[in-house]
Amino acid sequence: MSESTSHEAHGEGGHGGHGHDAHGGGGGHDDHGHHPRFIQHHYDDAQHQFDSGKLGIWLFLAQEVLFFSALFVAYVLYRYHHPEIYSYAHKYLDVKYGAINTAVLIFSSLTAAWAVRAAQLNQKKLLVGCIAVTIGCAITFLGIKYIEYSHKIHEHILFGRYFDPCVSSGGVPLLTKSNECAGHKSTVQWKDGSATAGCYQDIDQDLQAPGLQADCKVQEVRIAHGKPARVSAGATHDCTKAPTVFARGDGGTYTFTGACDEVMIVGSRNTIQLDTAKKIAVKGQDNTVRANAADAFAGDASTKRTIPKGISSPQPALAAVTDADVDENKEVVREIGKTPIVERCPEPGLGHGAHGAHEGAKYPCWRVGYQPAVCSKKSNKDRYGVIVEYGDHQERGHDVRIDADCKASPKPPAVADVFADQTSKPKLGQRAMVPYQKLTTHEEHELEAAGPPPEHTNMFFTIYFAMTGLHGIHVLFGVFVFVWLLVRSIKGHFRPDYFGPVDFAALYWHIVDLIWIFLFPLLYLIH
Amino acid sequence: MASTEHHDDHHGISHVASVKVLLGTGGSLLVLTLVTVLATKVDFGANINLGIAMAIAVLKASLVILFFMHLKYDKIFHTVVFLSAILAASLFVGFTLMDTGQYQHTNIWNPDSPPAAPVGPRPTSG
Repeated sequence: MSESTSHEAHGEGGHGGHGHDAHGGGGGHDDHGHHPRFIQHHYDDAQHQFDSGKLGIWLFLAQEVLFFSALFVAYVLYRYHHPEIYSYAHKYLDVKYGAINTAVLIFSSLTAAWAVRAAQLNQKKLLVGCIAVTIGCAITFLGIKYIEYSHKIHEHILFGRYFDPCVSSGGVPLLTKSNECAGHKSTVQWKDGSATAGCYQDIDQDLQAPGLQADCKVQEVRIAHGKPARVSAGATHDCTKAPTVFARGDGGTYTFTGACDEVMIVGSRNTIQLDTAKKIAVKGQDNTVRANAADAFAGDASTKRTIPKGISSPQPALAAVTDADVDENKEVVREIGKTPIVERCPEPGLGHGAHGAHEGAKYPCWRVGYQPAVCSKKSNKDRYGVIVEYGDHQERGHDVRIDADCKASPKPPAVADVFADQTSKPKLGQRAMVPYQKLTTHEEHELEAAGPPPEHTNMFFTIYFAMTGLHGIHVLFGVFVFVWLLVRSIKGHFRPDYFGPVDFAALYWHIVDLIWIFLFPLLYLIH
Repeated sequence: MASTEHHDDHHGISHVASVKVLLGTGGSLLVLTLVTVLATKVDFGANINLGIAMAIAVLKASLVILFFMHLKYDKIFHTVVFLSAILAASLFVGFTLMDTGQYQHTNIWNPDSPPAAPVGPRPTSG
């Protein structure tokens, strides 16, 4: 049916003789195949209208090419002058996302081209389907762009002076390209409490390098489940009901009965009386602790303690707890020295007393260790912390985390100074230092990886955001156009003699795809 | 009607792309995307790698233009319009790069690391 109708229809449109009649008869709009609908009065016929529209869209596409060419000029010029920035900065981009988006756009180009064919052949359902799939692909593209952009915003990998990523003490960026690591996940635990997750392979570990080490005290701590029970001075507390207790105040008397788990008191001149406890932590001056037995005790030297069993050493078994430790009810599982990151399996008794064996069964081997991390953010220069390789949360459990108390490390030496001609004073008639041996690309990358980011790496991201941003706006506009086409195609507006809008929108969509075809290798696939 | 065209499915108003051409083009584009990603992983030297990536991109763009955008079957004037835009864009890039050898290494002002002393005859060397 559709075949005969379509032939009839284009017959009407194709031969100019009937065209004038068509828009003369206003009532003939619904007369299928007889009068071309949507043919505007200033055109002779459907063919005339289509050809005019087609020329218009091609002129527009030519303008689009010129429009984008300005950005390509910026790209080419900057890449010519600063190839090192490009070969460095593209590491922040995830090829996976770029490749998926390329495939998505190519597929949507296919469906857009097919939509034109469907409109030409009067295949309404196929037309609606093709347009719908094209919209879906466009939205998928924008969704992936959203993931990429939001990640970059989060990591301060932005344009101009907003490019301010975290870099390790060795100058290697603390990348968090994606959460899927081929190896192990690492976490940089910053002093301010925030954390940056990344991949183990991406972080340098030159622990022996002088000047690269922040002075950190690192502890593995377990956060107790639930909040400790707050007790008030003067009252007697039953530890069998709530074994973990906490109190703050000066000059009070605290009495506990039964076996306590943890007793934490912050304040001065307090008197603490209890039977047994796994841990007693006291913060403050001139406190008095009387207990029959305790596995661990923490407190400063002014604390008078009487604990006949458990603790034999006259010195406190653990370092004095900080206020934060007490407040958060943390238990120090162990101190982590300046150890390289090595694979380690949970040892029995490593964990919380009797839970040790249980933990060993629950959590597989992990890598543990730390190395100092210094964030060389310009906006936050003294941001420092430790890199902790510790598997992921599932492996170690949510209640265990790394606590680090770091002092700022000395300024890391600029290890790549010999390659940066900005700092070496240029001599007239002499080129900047050139390696006497020609390096392979891979070796050059290794060299780059050893050093801090090249100057003006932000320019790459300025260009990146300008190009992908402008392209993204085009994709967004394409979504609106195709939604409009979807509505019209459902209404059945498009027929073999009137499919110009579908064709023109598809042409626009192809140029958007075409630009991405160049953006993908230029931005993501830099070798 | 333009029935003189070789393609049977040529329409009165415009050329109709065959399913074979559409699928063939789409498939080739996806394969070429895979090729360009894989080619990046091999080290041919930075310039050759860039050349390969650009050659594949041009090939992909040509496929899109010729078949998806129907330019192969379209009026020659549309090709002229489009190619003149490409020509203009190439001129922009070409002219920009023409005098790149005339400049010293660009050193944008950075308050944290001021640029090195200006290159030129030193006043002390007299």
